[in-house]
Amino acid sequence: MGEPEKHRILMVSDFFYPNFGGVENHIYYLSQCLIKEGHKVVVMTHAYQNRSGVRYMTNGLKVYYVPWKPFLMQNTLPTFFGTLPITRTILIREKISLVHGHQAFSTLCHEALMHARTMGYKVVFTDHSLYGFSDVGSIHMNKVLQFTLADVTQAICVSHTSKENTVLRSGLPPEKVYVIPNAVDTAMFTPAPERLSRDEIVIVVISRLVYRKGADLLVEVIPEVCRLHPNVRFIVGGDGPKRVRLEEMREKHSLQDRVDMLGAVPHAKVRSVLITGHIFLNSSLTEAFCIAILEAASCGLLTVSTRVGGVPEVLPDDMVVLAAPDPTTMVHAITRAIYMLPQIDPQDMHNRMKKLYSWPDVARRTEIVYNRALKCSNPPLLDRLSRYLTCGTWAGKIFCIVMIVNFLLWRLLQLWKPDKDIEVVPDIQVPKFQHEETPFGSRKEESF
Amino acid sequence: MAEALAIAVGKYTYVHEVGKGPPEAIDAHHIVVRRSREKGVNLCLFTLLLFVYPTFLLFRQGKLDTLHIWSLVIMALLMRLFLKKPVKKESVLILPAFGVQLETQYGSGKTVRQFVPISRILKPVLTECVTPVTCYWSLSLIIRGEEELMLVFKELRPPVKMLAPIWKALCAAIECGECTETIT
Repeated sequence: MGEPEKHRILMVSDFFYPNFGGVENHIYYLSQCLIKEGHKVVVMTHAYQNRSGVRYMTNGLKVYYVPWKPFLMQNTLPTFFGTLPITRTILIREKISLVHGHQAFSTLCHEALMHARTMGYKVVFTDHSLYGFSDVGSIHMNKVLQFTLADVTQAICVSHTSKENTVLRSGLPPEKVYVIPNAVDTAMFTPAPERLSRDEIVIVVISRLVYRKGADLLVEVIPEVCRLHPNVRFIVGGDGPKRVRLEEMREKHSLQDRVDMLGAVPHAKVRSVLITGHIFLNSSLTEAFCIAILEAASCGLLTVSTRVGGVPEVLPDDMVVLAAPDPTTMVHAITRAIYMLPQIDPQDMHNRMKKLYSWPDVARRTEIVYNRALKCSNPPLLDRLSRYLTCGTWAGKIFCIVMIVNFLLWRLLQLWKPDKDIEVVPDIQVPKFQHEETPFGSRKEESF
Repeated sequence: MAEALAIAVGKYTYVHEVGKGPPEAIDAHHIVVRRSREKGVNLCLFTLLLFVYPTFLLFRQGKLDTLHIWSLVIMALLMRLFLKKPVKKESVLILPAFGVQLETQYGSGKTVRQFVPISRILKPVLTECVTPVTCYWSLSLIIRGEEELMLVFKELRPPVKMLAPIWKALCAAIECGECTETIT
């Protein structure tokens, strides 16, 4: 049997380090594991302040910080065709075989996938979020997603709920969509060396204090839990517009000594906050996957969470207590969790998480999707245009025009600067270090 | 006497003049821009056409409409583009134990020179530059006490095939400079 095929992958998203979040971590860890498997991985994102140009990260992960300034929520300005020259240059000079776009919010991702399809590359798209169907923003976003996914080779979702949501929103055939969950770097999230005393029960909340993350729910849940359980204390990490409401609640109910507001917690310090608690509380109103509860479970905390989106798929029943997103049910769930605490062994929980969720496993599953994508046929432009026409009476025609213009611009670029004039970059051989701190190498060399 | 080695890629020609004689001989590296003659001829013809038509109308009708005024504006811009003094050649002269001289020669014959003493150069680096529309290789010098890198080729963007031998020569010269510093 021959050796498995090695790919040259371009990961594209507006969301990458030094910005921190689920998508950023996903791209980084997936890339590291794919590099370990022998694939070549290059990341393309926009510039962050003075971080522009080419940077190298652990294990020779190459990142192109393209000097396009973000204009809204870390997204670049949608130009449709503005990113075509740079995308084409990177694809040719890095000898890319497959383009992998991340996150439906990312303008750069949508544009790069469009250009890659125009140039005949195979593309894979990963959706990391859930969206509604009724509000103006969601309607617009769903149309954009429909445009991108009309010609995508394969798609990946992080949960079955997310897959269902994506299929409904984009009209993509379900057999083209794969479910590959997120993972957690268990080496970074280990339980406290000594078991905590249960004389005082500490409930930890770490999230952005915004409406979507259920900050308003916390405002009603915390005082009630404190009233019912005098030995319970809360630690709230995170910042956002709803922080004021939580501060007001703390003042109103005189809970200054029982509710600690930490403010924004850097990702590197999340573990040190988690290990001070017994229970992790997640009050999100919508969530495709929720990496936060994975990190908490890896640290040995029992999780109490709202039963929304892909959350019920994440942890086994004995590791999580689920509740409907309303205050009364949440309070009951927290009470149940408090009584469950004696049966919880943090180290056992951590070991189970290590087996359940690992980035190398995610990478292997993603590799299968890549192999299938590369086996797909490349239809001619006219066949592809017919797919866009099905996207709506007017939208379909607009999408077709956009794709025709993109195709003509690409041909014009080929005349102006032929492929042979674009220099191919030599691959850099990174020395293998023997003493690695984590499965992904020491991250000291990255200046975030 | 100097022996010259030349490589031509696209519109650039790399000429390496290897000095015969002692190791202290000047090592000259030139990047010459090869101007496309047919491009110039085409531009001239196009400009001429743009100029002839409005002039003919002016003599015939005695007035010009908006379209003709625009064609004159375009012609003026094209003429400016054509008459603009382009860079003809950029050179790197390596003077072992002394320094590096960077030269830019324009089409008009004007030459701009910049000398960098060897003691100020920490390291020559080959870097990948990213602009909003393209990526290219550039050769720069890390200068002692300076935050910014000093570009070796300020106007031209020669391919990495041409930059690599210049980078190697600079590395060798700077290492040599360090050796002499430690000896003295």
